[in-house]
Amino acid sequence: MPEAALRGIAAGAPEGSGVPVLPALRALVPGGVLRPGSVVGLTGLGAASLGAALAAGATAPEGEDGPGGWCGVVGLPEFGVLAAAGMGAAPERLLLVDEPGDRWPDVVAALAEAVGLILLRPPERPGAAAVRRLSALARRHGCVLTLTGAFADAWPGTRLRLRLEDVAWHGLGDGHGRLRGRLADVVAEGPGPARRVRLWFPDADGAVAPAETVPALKPVGGPVSAGGPVSAGGPVHTVAGEEIA
Amino acid sequence: MTRVLVVWCPDWPATAAGVDAATPGAAVARGRVEACTAAARAQGVRRGQRLRDAQRRCPELVVRERDTGAEGRLFEAVVAAVAELTPRVEVVRPGLCAIPARGPARFYGGEEALRVLVQDMVVEAGYDCGSGVADGLFAAELAARAGQGGVVVPEGGAAAFLAPYPLSVLDRPELADLLRRLGVATLGAFAALPSGHVAGRFGADGALAHRLARGEEPRPPAPVPGVPDLSVRADLDPPAARAEQVVFAAKRLAGELHEGLAAGGLTCVRLETSVGFADGHVLRRLWRHDGRLSALAVAERVRWQLSAWRSERPVPGTDPDGVEAPPEDEAVWGGVTWLELAPDQLVPDVGRQEGLWGGTAVTDRVARAADRVQALLGHHGITRPVLAGGRGPGERVVRVPVGDLPPAGAPDGPWPGRVGAPAPAAVPPRAASAEVVDAAGGPVVVSARCAVSAPPAALAFGGGTAAVTGWTGPWPADERWWDPARSRRLARFQVVTEDGAAYLLAVEGGRWHVEASYD
Repeated sequence: MPEAALRGIAAGAPEGSGVPVLPALRALVPGGVLRPGSVVGLTGLGAASLGAALAAGATAPEGEDGPGGWCGVVGLPEFGVLAAAGMGAAPERLLLVDEPGDRWPDVVAALAEAVGLILLRPPERPGAAAVRRLSALARRHGCVLTLTGAFADAWPGTRLRLRLEDVAWHGLGDGHGRLRGRLADVVAEGPGPARRVRLWFPDADGAVAPAETVPALKPVGGPVSAGGPVSAGGPVHTVAGEEIA
Repeated sequence: MTRVLVVWCPDWPATAAGVDAATPGAAVARGRVEACTAAARAQGVRRGQRLRDAQRRCPELVVRERDTGAEGRLFEAVVAAVAELTPRVEVVRPGLCAIPARGPARFYGGEEALRVLVQDMVVEAGYDCGSGVADGLFAAELAARAGQGGVVVPEGGAAAFLAPYPLSVLDRPELADLLRRLGVATLGAFAALPSGHVAGRFGADGALAHRLARGEEPRPPAPVPGVPDLSVRADLDPPAARAEQVVFAAKRLAGELHEGLAAGGLTCVRLETSVGFADGHVLRRLWRHDGRLSALAVAERVRWQLSAWRSERPVPGTDPDGVEAPPEDEAVWGGVTWLELAPDQLVPDVGRQEGLWGGTAVTDRVARAADRVQALLGHHGITRPVLAGGRGPGERVVRVPVGDLPPAGAPDGPWPGRVGAPAPAAVPPRAASAEVVDAAGGPVVVSARCAVSAPPAALAFGGGTAAVTGWTGPWPADERWWDPARSRRLARFQVVTEDGAAYLLAVEGGRWHVEASYD
């Protein structure tokens, strides 16, 4: 690989811009990109999906076939790789540190030099010294720290907080159908007024799409009422129920 | 022509996996037999066979997963036994080691005497083995496998000794197949072909095989005049107390060594790794290299060397000399003060290129960060996910430690009963147990015919309870029914609860679990 290409990958994004987010989320983030060195907080219901979406934005291939950036996931053994891949992430550009234990500040410090986005769930209340050190490292290397978990709020200097509101899952009936997508308001609180967009988060293919793009989801108007036509969805079985007997 | 003595431990992967040689047993990897004991072979088990076929032929087969780490570690005991007789032992691979025979044979009174002596030493150490002496490594390995416990092939007799062997011993299936169709069935017949024509028709690898068949060294040691010292050394100050630190240093050193070799267009046949301890003790070992070991593979060998040494260190308080052994947890070997990698037998590199990182290149910065995390948390501390086949969302992701090659592309077969998109965003490594009750408060039961006793009304797990507003299922999955130890039979459900959360539930053996959350 040529030298220039390597530098491009390592930097995560071209200098001067920031860590890209998924197109559907651009309206929520000032400038359409996550500012290098900033801190993002994810809380409440849907934090895992929001984390996966940010990881997808950071690692998704740029442009035609340009390489995406790298994303580190620290302390989240349950991180849904498949969900992130469905939203457009490149799994081979994810670095997972499932069990950092009490070495998590060192792990984050090591990763901050190399990746564009770090998704972090601190296993303990972060100490003031660790917060100062890691924030400084993130600013120096232009890495975006994304906090989730119980101590996400305990990180001073969080510029942007994302959460889901007014969620509704579609596709599931009373004993039939399958999950086909979730309509949700993604709310971003940061400097300035709160912004809000209604999104399929995720849609039937696992991607993130604006709520207006309903045609792809035509068969599913909403939760199918009991006694209604049975959805043709659901996994396909080659064997009948007797097989399990 | 160098005289070589080879010690060959039969079925080493099976021995290392802990299968007794007298019982029929096999070491398997990815559902195929990699090695089996003689007792299993007598019943028709073969290498490369599918596990299912092997178990059909031999129902009482003891099956163990292949453990390459244990193979390297246990073989250190064999190497140590051989090293009692002569210090320069070359480990070709776990299960096979070689020593130059000429000097020791003169010392111990002849090649046959040396052969029997080495065999006795290894058998005393508790391992079955064969040993053979011949010109060159290839002939010596076959000599070790020949007869009852090996033979001595007289000097210059390698070609005659090799002649009756089938072509399969060359371990080049494509070449052997082609030659068989050309009417060449034995090594002797292959050796009789003119070497120029073989090289013209089969290329460099064919020429190499032809040299082997003629009983010659595959590639002659080709010392380059005036080669600078390419050995690399790292001093560790303060002494490294943990194996991880030494392995980390070894990885970096191996990278430097390979750079130096590559700059001269060279590769080494063998690699000598030396580890020096704070008490002056030095641990040396030769490893077969042939340009095939990556920096990580070298580091792995240093790890084997260290872990083998640690397993034989004195138990605290039982040191016969009355010297107090260090306590278990701190500076177990007195600390490692230096580490040296020295290439042995430099030969021109004719080119064998293997990707170090697999498909997508890992950049220098990412590799360095991953190295640092691995130094903190161990080799498995940082992983890259690879999507694989499977039904549940957890099964479809394989975590490969950074630096390891991803598993060879498994066929993405049809997975009837696979949970469709969208995928859940939170898949805990271990499913949390849950309670699912119907409207009357009784547990929801799924019958053997996949009939649900009553619609689920409430889901309780992790200390909370939520009413179920939508559900679907059961989606049965009957997995690995051919393997009693790993077979699973479960039914999956998707539910949405009143608080807007959705879950993937699984019921298995009457117990409910939250397999994943659509958080």
